[in-house]
Amino acid sequence: MRFLLLVSVSAIWILSPIAVLADAIVEGRVNLPKSHAPPPVMAKRYEIVTNGGVLATKPPLAVVYLDGSFPTPTSHSIKQVAQKDLAFLPPLLPVQIGTTVEFPNLDDTYHNIFSYSPAKRFDLGRYRPEERPIPSVVFDVAGLVTLRCDIHEHMRGLILVLNTPYFVITDESGRFRLSGLPAGHYTLKAWIDSKTTREQPVELKSGATLRTDFP
Amino acid sequence: MMLVVLVLTALALYFAQRNVTTTAERDLRENFQAEISSLHKVQALRNSALTERCRELVLKPRLHAALEDNALDLLYPTAKDELRDLMEGVAPGKGEGANSLQARFYRFLSGSGAIIPPPNPTEVGQLSREAEAQLALKRLPDTQQIGYVLETADTIDGTMNEVMALPILSTETGEVISALVVGFKPYEVVDKSEGTGLKSGIWVNGRLHLPSLPKSAELKIENDIAYAVSKPDGAQNSFNVTVDGVPQLLFYKHLNPGSLFPPAYEICVYSLANSIAQQRRLSWQIGGAGALLLLLGFVASHFIAARLSVPVEKLAVDSEKNRAHWREAEAALASTSEELERSARYSADASHQLKSPVTVLRAGLDNLLNREGFKPEVYHELSGLLHQTYRLTGVIDDLLLLSRLDAGHLQIDSKPVNLSQLINEWIDDLNALPDSPEIKIEQELPAEIFVAGEKRYTSLIVQNLLENARKYNRLGGCIRVAARRDNAEVVLTVGNTGRPIAQTAQQHIFERFHRGAPVSNISGHGLGLNLARELARLHGGDLRLLRSDNDWTEFEVRFRVARPSLRRAAEVV
Repeated sequence: MRFLLLVSVSAIWILSPIAVLADAIVEGRVNLPKSHAPPPVMAKRYEIVTNGGVLATKPPLAVVYLDGSFPTPTSHSIKQVAQKDLAFLPPLLPVQIGTTVEFPNLDDTYHNIFSYSPAKRFDLGRYRPEERPIPSVVFDVAGLVTLRCDIHEHMRGLILVLNTPYFVITDESGRFRLSGLPAGHYTLKAWIDSKTTREQPVELKSGATLRTDFP
Repeated sequence: MMLVVLVLTALALYFAQRNVTTTAERDLRENFQAEISSLHKVQALRNSALTERCRELVLKPRLHAALEDNALDLLYPTAKDELRDLMEGVAPGKGEGANSLQARFYRFLSGSGAIIPPPNPTEVGQLSREAEAQLALKRLPDTQQIGYVLETADTIDGTMNEVMALPILSTETGEVISALVVGFKPYEVVDKSEGTGLKSGIWVNGRLHLPSLPKSAELKIENDIAYAVSKPDGAQNSFNVTVDGVPQLLFYKHLNPGSLFPPAYEICVYSLANSIAQQRRLSWQIGGAGALLLLLGFVASHFIAARLSVPVEKLAVDSEKNRAHWREAEAALASTSEELERSARYSADASHQLKSPVTVLRAGLDNLLNREGFKPEVYHELSGLLHQTYRLTGVIDDLLLLSRLDAGHLQIDSKPVNLSQLINEWIDDLNALPDSPEIKIEQELPAEIFVAGEKRYTSLIVQNLLENARKYNRLGGCIRVAARRDNAEVVLTVGNTGRPIAQTAQQHIFERFHRGAPVSNISGHGLGLNLARELARLHGGDLRLLRSDNDWTEFEVRFRVARPSLRRAAEVV
């Protein structure tokens, strides 16, 4: 119950505009790679898979974000990546630089979350579900962070650390909508997998909705 | 006897020796194999344990994270934690781990098979540059590889390291992204008791590492092994070597066939000194026992021979004498037999040769007698000559019969003969003779009495006796013939009056060509009695002179009685 609450809170937080003045909207569709696998049976919506050394979500999803230099938020935001059923949940988490991510253990076993990724190296050590405070890491460098568990070698999670507060995960068909954006010339980027990020320049006007697709 | 003892002892010694040698060789081989196989078992156990530990290590997510998440700088620090257990107790300068399952060093290989240099070599087990270079492979291995690396930097002898390279497979791509190379102290049997038992070592890159062997021996064996392993046959073999004058059985086995590391051979050396000493000791024991046995044998044989030789020598002398006697007797017998045969043959030949001319003579005389025109005295003369030819024929017939008797060729066809009838016929004939003197013939004969014999010869016996009785009779004398049964025999006696046979001559009357008295007017040729006796004997009976004195001479013949069944058959006929 608490978990659902957390997810919904974070979803609201992602979708709500940070800057009150920014009210531009961009929406469109990212052309995602075709997925031949049947939809997962389990309740979770997607997972992280590796294919030829490339990490991506399955079914394919993209993170669309507005690149640029934005001021670091003054308020400290906290997000969570839980370990549930020997998997990371959510498997892919985009965060703005400076975000603290908590790693609650929701399984009945030990987990040892660590990352050797250049963007953030950390090792939380082994801990049980009742571990308090919940082990957490502050992500302060932009980049992709691969989450691993030292005990469960198959577990993979991704945290995409971005230097922007404006980002969204597309739905399975690749559609996205970013609102509350500041007006101006920016680069709109679509992270598709660990090796692929597409981008295109956008000119946002206040109060206007820009439609753009990633082919 | 001596020779037999000698040969037996030599044989016993030979077989004992051979048996000992075979047993010793078999024991040695069994010992060797048992030790090697137990060594191999220990090695296999240890290897599987090491492999298991290393396999766990290469699955460690941190190592994978370091390799896959572009964090090579964290590789060795991570490994230091992860391999802590394996490396425990290894401190710089303390290369010898207490436990053979502990590693001496480890390294990671990059994608090209080269060594990923460790940031702090003291933490990963120090190696000389040369030794470290030997850990590199020309490519990353797909499977676990075993190799051997000799570290020569630390001591003169060097240190042999067993190296295990395990591939690290990316959990993301499934490809080999690196390899973990771990070095261990190889499992070697170090012989506690000097100079005996099994020693094991490793030969790699032309160098032998067998610390329990003297250095000089190592160098010598290195070349032998290099030659042996260069031959393509078999991965496992053995040969004999000599180390410091002690023969050793050397066994080698390819340890890492198909490995990317240089080929290495396990070398086991088994000293034959013990076995040879044992064999020598046994040989001495057997030799000593043999010598003792020989000595005892000689004494015993001498003693026995001395005891045995006395009667044997006596026996030899006696038998030599006997043999001489026997030879003499044999020679005498042979000459007698030859003489007899010769005389018999001569008689037979002479008789045959004489018969034909006599027949011719008789025919001629007959012819002349039948001619007319001769004077009467010529006829008388011719008649006398013809009579002589008949006498001659009689002599010849007798001689022929005798010669056949002598040669043993005469066979009688025994049938019942009616003796009474035969005698009566002859008496009739006697009476009918023209010059028969006035002689009275008495006879005491049963009506019929059957004897066993051939009628021809029985008749000849009777004729001879009757003719003699008539010939040697006197005027007005008498002849008495009697026959009677005497159990299984028939006794026939023929007596006659007349001058008796002289006492001295009585014993010779049955000899050939002997005549009882030199009476010129009595015809005869001195064969009759001899022939009659021979024939009587041939019939199973005998002829003898009963008496010859006081104007009475009496002979007795014994015949065998004819068997009744045969007699009845004769009656029917």
